Amino acid sequence: MPNDGPVIETRNLTKKYGSFVALDSLSIAVDKGQILGFIGPNGAGKTTTIKILVGLSRPTSGTATVAGIDCAKDARKIKRLLGYMPDTFGSYDNMRVGEYLDFFGAAYGLGRRDRVKRVDEVLETAGAGKFKDLFVESLSHGMKQRVAIARTLLHDPVALILDEPANGLDPQARIEMRGLLLDLAARGKTLIVTSHILPELARICDRCAIITRGKLRAYGTLAEIGRQLSQMRTIEVLLATDRELDRAVEVLRPHVEEKSELTAHPAEYAVRFRTAKPDEELAAALAALVGAKLPVTQFREVQTDLEEAFMTVARSDDDAGAKA
Amino acid sequence: MNPIIRRELLELLRTPKAIAAQIALAVACALLVLLRWPASGVSDLGGARSLQVLRVFGYGLLAGILFLVPAFPATSIVRERIKGTLALLLNSPMTPLSIYLGKLGGTLGFTSILLAVTVPAAAACYALGGSSTSGGVAWLYVVLGVATFQITTLALWISSRATSTDFALRTTYGCVLALALLPLAPYWALQGEASDLLDVAAWLRCLSPVPAVMEVLGHAAVGTHGLGDAGGAIGKFVVLALVFGLVFAWATVAQLRGRPLDRSRAAGVMTQDRSTGSQIFRRLFFLVDPQRRSASMPLLVNPVMLKEFRSRKFGRGHWTLRLIALSAILSLGLCTAAAEGAIGWGIEIIGGALVLLQTAILILFTPSLAAGLISTERENGSWQLLRMTPLSTGKILRGKLLSVVWPLLLLLCATLPGYVFLMTIKPELGPQVARVVVSLGLTAVFAMLVSAAASCLFRTTAVATAAANLALVGLCIGTLLAVIARDAPFGKSTVEAILTVNPVAAALSAAETPGFKDYDLIPLNWYVVGGASAVLLLFVMVRTRRLSRPD
Repeated sequence: MPNDGPVIETRNLTKKYGSFVALDSLSIAVDKGQILGFIGPNGAGKTTTIKILVGLSRPTSGTATVAGIDCAKDARKIKRLLGYMPDTFGSYDNMRVGEYLDFFGAAYGLGRRDRVKRVDEVLETAGAGKFKDLFVESLSHGMKQRVAIARTLLHDPVALILDEPANGLDPQARIEMRGLLLDLAARGKTLIVTSHILPELARICDRCAIITRGKLRAYGTLAEIGRQLSQMRTIEVLLATDRELDRAVEVLRPHVEEKSELTAHPAEYAVRFRTAKPDEELAAALAALVGAKLPVTQFREVQTDLEEAFMTVARSDDDAGAKA
Repeated sequence: MNPIIRRELLELLRTPKAIAAQIALAVACALLVLLRWPASGVSDLGGARSLQVLRVFGYGLLAGILFLVPAFPATSIVRERIKGTLALLLNSPMTPLSIYLGKLGGTLGFTSILLAVTVPAAAACYALGGSSTSGGVAWLYVVLGVATFQITTLALWISSRATSTDFALRTTYGCVLALALLPLAPYWALQGEASDLLDVAAWLRCLSPVPAVMEVLGHAAVGTHGLGDAGGAIGKFVVLALVFGLVFAWATVAQLRGRPLDRSRAAGVMTQDRSTGSQIFRRLFFLVDPQRRSASMPLLVNPVMLKEFRSRKFGRGHWTLRLIALSAILSLGLCTAAAEGAIGWGIEIIGGALVLLQTAILILFTPSLAAGLISTERENGSWQLLRMTPLSTGKILRGKLLSVVWPLLLLLCATLPGYVFLMTIKPELGPQVARVVVSLGLTAVFAMLVSAAASCLFRTTAVATAAANLALVGLCIGTLLAVIARDAPFGKSTVEAILTVNPVAAALSAAETPGFKDYDLIPLNWYVVGGASAVLLLFVMVRTRRLSRPD
């Protein structure tokens, strides 16, 4: 596996079912140890992309690679590199968790001794060590999600693709799942995670990809996505006291666009404004505030909210659909 | 109208499959009557030929009901439970009784339509020959209708208690066959004794639809050796089956009224975690302890095969041992009884009984073992997980087929002591036994591949099991009915040609069972069944490969 370059990459990935275009020229790349949040409304093409990546579906055109290996041409090799957790659990009757994982370990060709050790390890990693002797069908949804994560880790894949891992989890389990995913990324695993719980996703993802009607609408870090969706960014100035808020507004006025609204938030000792000005001009605005002896404690760009970004994309997509 | 009936019956009737089933049945029945239709101006006033056709018809319909009807009600409630829609139904304003009546009505409605399709053919056949059926064709349909009610209520009760479709199907088929055959045993055993027990046994046997259908079709009861009995089986069956059905209906509604979703599976304490005394006790009484932590899968053993064993209730070691032991006991018991003169059967009849025992095992167990091989994986979403593993399609298929081959082989081997016993009594039987064993082996392979093919074709295990049963019953039992119609309306050569496709007939012929002795079926039958098995295997391989390929 090459050390540099993205672990997962798609280039102009397209999938058509007859005349229906499920995926239209999708290009994304995820580096080692990164978490990509893959977002889109139902039927947007997320599952199609995932199925191509895991070798369960063939693209009509374009390429998808994992660690440099083509997903369509070398599907067998891909299976050893990827851990896939679909949105359905896929349980077998009358099997205990230990037996269930032992089967998948054997299916991945793990040796008998290694397998016994590995099953214990992945159960511990997923926080499911105490479920080992329970019947799979007796587990709750949250417990099953943990076992499913353990299953994807069995063969120590370089990348994990998790379809709705936080779906149906209670708050505590969700927080634990978040910690688990961050831990896996810290261990060098590359993750693609789909979820409809956007605040949750925003807290763990290094990058996000928003997809609608098979097309990639926004891609990058949250800040980058914010800029892609709108040239304007939100800047927040925090002061040490609320007494100087009006003067701060006066000082900032010449440095922002005429139409831009400067708003003071006394309760937070903050002034916020939206601007499309470059960083150099914003540096001048900060210098003006400091020159006016205002007690500035912070001058920062406010991160775009993922929900807001998603809704912006969804709305523009709806408009485009209505016009079409 | 009950919305469940609308969903389960009316929507089913709109599907092309339902229409195809009705047309196929109507055409098959019409063909049967056409065979009997007098080609010349001479009519058979005695009605013997007509009665022969009606008998084939009647037993065929009974076999169809016994093997086809259970599949749908058996999975009806348990599937709703697994999918979560049972909770939605119970949470709706519908009462448990109306939910139950909807389910019952759906199955009874569809079966009634299928039976109704056969009525014109049966009526034409009856009207033609002036046959001496008891009460005419109407009674045949009354008995079949009541039998459908009886089986459906039993299957729905099992479905309401089951937690998986596989378990529901296997248990229902086991219970339905037990219901059809076991009540006959006491009456048969007590024949010739004048006691109150015989009266009880006479009532008990009427729990099965078989005596009633036999009486309708003018056959003597099982075990009477052709002598007439007191009769009245039809009335007794109708009363008993209705009571039976109502009891199970009440039990199912009570089950739905309780909290059917309010139960968790007992995790079961592992033997290793129990006290020393308990561990010693379990070691003494369990040759294979189901609660012991199972060892890790050996690397050289096909993991899919072991997974199949572990995920089946009856695939677990302790159950397999029990079934094998039961087969061995039955086989040896039968031979010992014959040798000691407890029953006045000759070697040929014993051989035939052994073949029938093994055939019953094969026909009962093979579809329930093999019809879910692929369909269950697709139904519960684990097929894509299996496709994601590096296991090749060949290895997956090999593992799955081996998981059926081994239990069948062990079950067949368990009955071999019976043949050894026969060969000890009559050493010259060696070549004959060899032919029987080959025929039974081919039957097992054929049944397994038919079921596996159904499993590849259908998405749900219930439909795959029903289709496998339909194919096997049609081929292995349906064609046997031709023997009933030997001489009239079919000639010997026609019956022989029909039986050539039936591996069970070949085994019975090899065992020189009365009724099959005159047909020379081997080796042509082996070639036909072997060739069909090869084609089926090829189909299963191609289809499984297609299912595992990227979309």
